[in-house]
Amino acid sequence: LEGVTTGSTFVLDQPRCVFEDYGNAVIWLVVTLDKDAPSFNNSAEPGTPETAFQRFPDPVRAYMTLNATLGSYPCPKPAGDITVLRVGSETSCARDETRPTCNGPLPGPGPYRVKFLALEGSVPVAETAWSMPIMLRTAKPPSSISTTGSGHNAGMIAITTILSILFAILLAGLVAMLVFWGSDSCGSSTLSKPESVSVRRYNTHHVYDQPAARL
Amino acid sequence: MAKSDDCVHILQGLLVFGNVVIGMCGIALTAECIYVVSNPHGPYPLLKATENSDIYAAAWIGIFVGLALFALSILGIIAVIRASRTLLMVYIILMLITFAFEMASCITAATHQDSLTPEHFLKQMLERYQKSEPGNNSDNEVTKTWDELMRQNHCCGVKGPSDWQEYTSAFRDTHSDADYPWPRTCCVLDAKGLPVNLDGCKLGVPGYYNSNGCYDAISGPVNAHAWGVAWFGFAILCWTFCVLLGTMFYWSGIEY
Repeated sequence: LEGVTTGSTFVLDQPRCVFEDYGNAVIWLVVTLDKDAPSFNNSAEPGTPETAFQRFPDPVRAYMTLNATLGSYPCPKPAGDITVLRVGSETSCARDETRPTCNGPLPGPGPYRVKFLALEGSVPVAETAWSMPIMLRTAKPPSSISTTGSGHNAGMIAITTILSILFAILLAGLVAMLVFWGSDSCGSSTLSKPESVSVRRYNTHHVYDQPAARL
Repeated sequence: MAKSDDCVHILQGLLVFGNVVIGMCGIALTAECIYVVSNPHGPYPLLKATENSDIYAAAWIGIFVGLALFALSILGIIAVIRASRTLLMVYIILMLITFAFEMASCITAATHQDSLTPEHFLKQMLERYQKSEPGNNSDNEVTKTWDELMRQNHCCGVKGPSDWQEYTSAFRDTHSDADYPWPRTCCVLDAKGLPVNLDGCKLGVPGYYNSNGCYDAISGPVNAHAWGVAWFGFAILCWTFCVLLGTMFYWSGIEY
């Protein structure tokens, strides 16, 4: 799951097949900062200002939320189902002090610890152990992305070099042509090409007329 | 005498053939550059917003160079057949000017590819996508282009949806992380444009959100265009170089 931890939420597995013997109990999720986990007292009552989400983390050290009965976590877990709880998904009640058990977005990156607590009335009857510390994601500012050029690729260097050389050769050729044309038009053409004298063989016509008169 | 006449005729024939090829390649270059410039599905608004639209400058130059090559090739054929020194000189000079322009276009297209790194697009996307008070119109364009890109290619972000988690962004300023770990356009949408399973999308359950990044979808067409303009232009220039050398040689052999 890509959204296992985000900047203000995290995902937990549901406590399936854990609280089997406590059909009458209400199962609560206790969320606290890592450093405050040892000081949590199981006799804390949910829904009171001492465990209200809106005052977490100061002065409230641990808040309780996501209450459910055992029916919400049937056992055994059907294979292939995604059975998770998303802590921090309720944004509408995050500032509503009349809803102290709100499952609101977490205020900082943590680390947090959670445990499930089963209460019958207000008597704690069962609990899970504290989880490992859960660290949320911290976002960096976009200005930390470096966009400096990564150097020129070989193709560009090849094109530039070869084309420059070709162009230079052509320019040199053009200059040579202009110089050649200039010196040519100064008038040495008549001297550089002497008339070729050709001698054509001349056959005197009377040699060939003889056979016709032999008759 | 006869032998050098033959040589001259062969050279003339080769030059005419060379010019015919240049003319055809000029038309092809024009057509290709018109396609690059007018492609409606291209990522042009993104590139325009990053002030990185050199590829389009190169393509515009390519259009005019192609037409010039075609016209000059006709001039060249006439000049070679009539063996006129003046015409050939004009032809060579104009061809050199066109050569210089096409050289600029090729080098621009080839250099342009280097600047299209993922980090470049990432920074632009984070800073401008869904900016709440859009200072100028191009921010709206950026948002619209990204939305369309993500919808059409079923992708999210530049490298993936975690781009929105790893960095703060203009989007994050107006949309809470709990409700919008990534924009809604990253979710798999139904026919009406609503997410099929919003909770699944927020959790990142495979099948309800787009998990791959859009960088491939952007860089693919842009690179194809850039290579097309750059390398085809390079090939034409190499051929033109040979024809021009032959023309210069022919010119110097014409009797005054």
